[in-house]
This record gives sequence, C-alpha cells and structure tokens, in this order.
Amino acid sequence: MRVLKKCVGFAQKRWCGEKKIAAICGKRKEDSTKESVMSRKDQLTEFGKYVAECIPKYVQKIRMTHSDQLEILVDPEGVLCVTQFLKDHHGCQFEMLTDVTSMDVPSRPFRFEVIYTFLSLRYNSRVTVKTYADELLPVESIAGLYKNADWLEREVWDMYGVFFANHPDLRRLLTDYGFDGHPFRKDFPLSGYLELRYDDEKKRVVYEPVELTQEYRRFDLSSPWTSYPKFKDDQIQKKKQEENKEKEEAKSKNPC
Amino acid sequence: MAGVSTKITTGLTGLAVAKHPHHVLGVLYGKILRTLQKMPESAAYRKYTEEVINERSQILKANQDITVVEKQIGCGQIEEVIVQAENELLLARKMLDWKPWEPLIKQPPPNQWTWPPAQPQPQGK
Repeated sequence: MRVLKKCVGFAQKRWCGEKKIAAICGKRKEDSTKESVMSRKDQLTEFGKYVAECIPKYVQKIRMTHSDQLEILVDPEGVLCVTQFLKDHHGCQFEMLTDVTSMDVPSRPFRFEVIYTFLSLRYNSRVTVKTYADELLPVESIAGLYKNADWLEREVWDMYGVFFANHPDLRRLLTDYGFDGHPFRKDFPLSGYLELRYDDEKKRVVYEPVELTQEYRRFDLSSPWTSYPKFKDDQIQKKKQEENKEKEEAKSKNPC
Repeated sequence: MAGVSTKITTGLTGLAVAKHPHHVLGVLYGKILRTLQKMPESAAYRKYTEEVINERSQILKANQDITVVEKQIGCGQIEEVIVQAENELLLARKMLDWKPWEPLIKQPPPNQWTWPPAQPQPQGK
C-alpha cells in the first residue's frame, strides 16, 4: 500500500512545472482518500503540450493515438534535442529506449517514418517520438544517449535503409554479408534477389539469382480481406450513388 | 552531527552513497540556474526548469535532515536527485546551442502525418 501511494505521488509530481497539476496536487492532499487525480490520458495530453511548449522549434505536432498513447511528431533535425530533453529533464526522465523502428509509406515525399519508443521508469509512462526521412536524408543517431540505440539503428538501417548520421558503427545487423537491398521496403520483391542452396558437388553453399519455375509464377496478390473497411463502405456507397444517378438519368431520358 | 549521512548503501547498482549531498546539490543547482540565465526570459524551458530547481533548492536549504529532504522532494533518494540535477545541467548546456525556444524551423510536408496515407497526386499538369 505504501509503495502504491508513493507511485501515485510520483505521478502527481510529474511535470511539476505545470501550475495546473500543482493545484491538483494541492487538492489531492486535502481529500487523500479519494483518487481524484487527473486521468492517465489527461496527464499525457498535458505532458505533450508541455513538451511542445518547451521545444517549439522542433516539435511539429502532438497527438494521442486511439489507445491513449502520446505521439510527439518531430522535425528530423530535432531528434537529438527532443530525445535529450525527454531523457534528462526533471519532469520527463525517459531513461529507457524501448525500441527504434521504421515504417515505409512510398506515396509520401519522405517515405520513411522513424519511430522511437521511450519508457520513464520514474513516472511509469511511455512516449512515442516520430520523425521522417527518405532514402538520402540522414537522421541524427541517438546512440550517444542510449547505448541500445546502436543496434536498434543498425537494424533500421538494415531493413529500411534509413541513414543515421554520426552512428559509431553503421553496418547491417540481421541480413547476410554482401546482402543487396533493404527487405522491409515496400518495393523489395517478395522472393528476394538471391537464393542459396547447398551444392553437393562443390561441398559448399551456393548463391544464385532467384529463378522461379513457371508454375510458381502465378501470384494472386489480391488480399481476401479488406484492409480498410471504412473505405470499402465509401466505395460501395459511391458506386450506389453512381448507379442511382444513372437510373435517374435513364428515367429522365425515357419520358422525353 | 546533523546532515552527515549514516547510510551504508543506496540499494541501487552503481550508485554510491553521497557523502555531502547538500554541498553537491547546492553547487549543481547554482550551475544550472546560471546556465538558465543565459536563455531568454520568455523561454518556456527556462521558466519551468527554474521553477523546479528553485523549489528543490528551497527544500534543501530549509532542512538539514536528508530523509526529510527526500520526502519533500518526492523523487527518490538524494543520490538519485543528484543524478537528475547532473542530467539537467548537461541538458541546459546543450539547450544553449540548440535554442529550442525559437519558432518552428520547418513545417512538415502536407499529408506527412495523415493515416491512412494520402494517395499520390497524378503527375503532369
């Protein structure tokens, strides 16, 4: 029970720069039996605003996901500044980097989204920082701040080909020596470029360019599931509307 | 003698017991405040950090007993508070270079943050 109370105390002390929260803390002291603190979501939203206010130069947008997680959308030049702030500021203390990943959306001018997830052990909360890059634009490496970012960024470089500037040792991590291409890119072929097999005569593994026999070449790429039900409904409605219009036109033409 | 810690261990790996926490914290907070004073007064970062630091240094000055200080600050043991102050000093010094209080340097390209992703515009005018 004591530990629990302590945790709640930390949660309230979070971002003590905020007068609002300080006021709520004051209230909390009066009726200490009731858990009438801000909800988790409100706390995170307040915190997002706090970060945006402190670093207006680099933070482009703050948003909450549908599962009430905070996302801080950052200009690629400001990655180092924002992560250092999240790590070292008294009110943040996100001392643990959970993951670095990326996302490929070829239709955007900057096709890669680089995603960092942080955990604050002190305040028991998580934050996602997102930035963007393309094939050439480098993102500043945060390996100097978080030791594990070294491997995580190497993995992103391997899988997506996002270049991290000032990384101590940017090599491929998961794929083979001399591997060609970046497998998680949307334009990477499903079957890859090279296939390998053990050659019994040569007594070693042989690399050969992928050759598919004709019967395996028939790909059925359409998914049996609809990826975006919302849009499916839209399309159906549009079709219906068009059909209705055609019918009306046909009707209006007929009496003439 | 009051103020001298008789603590044996912090119970945290790699974190030694601070021998003179009052002195160390006093120096660190002084350094942080001096660094912050080089920032423009309207900077939100300066305002909020000064608030936290002032609150903590007041608690530190008011109490000689470390356990009372720890309880009133409410952010872990005094050794952890020292580490936090060191981090803040590092951050404040770097912030002087970054100048994060300036207006946004670049707007994101349209549709960069939309989901589901916007379809590419047909090429050619």
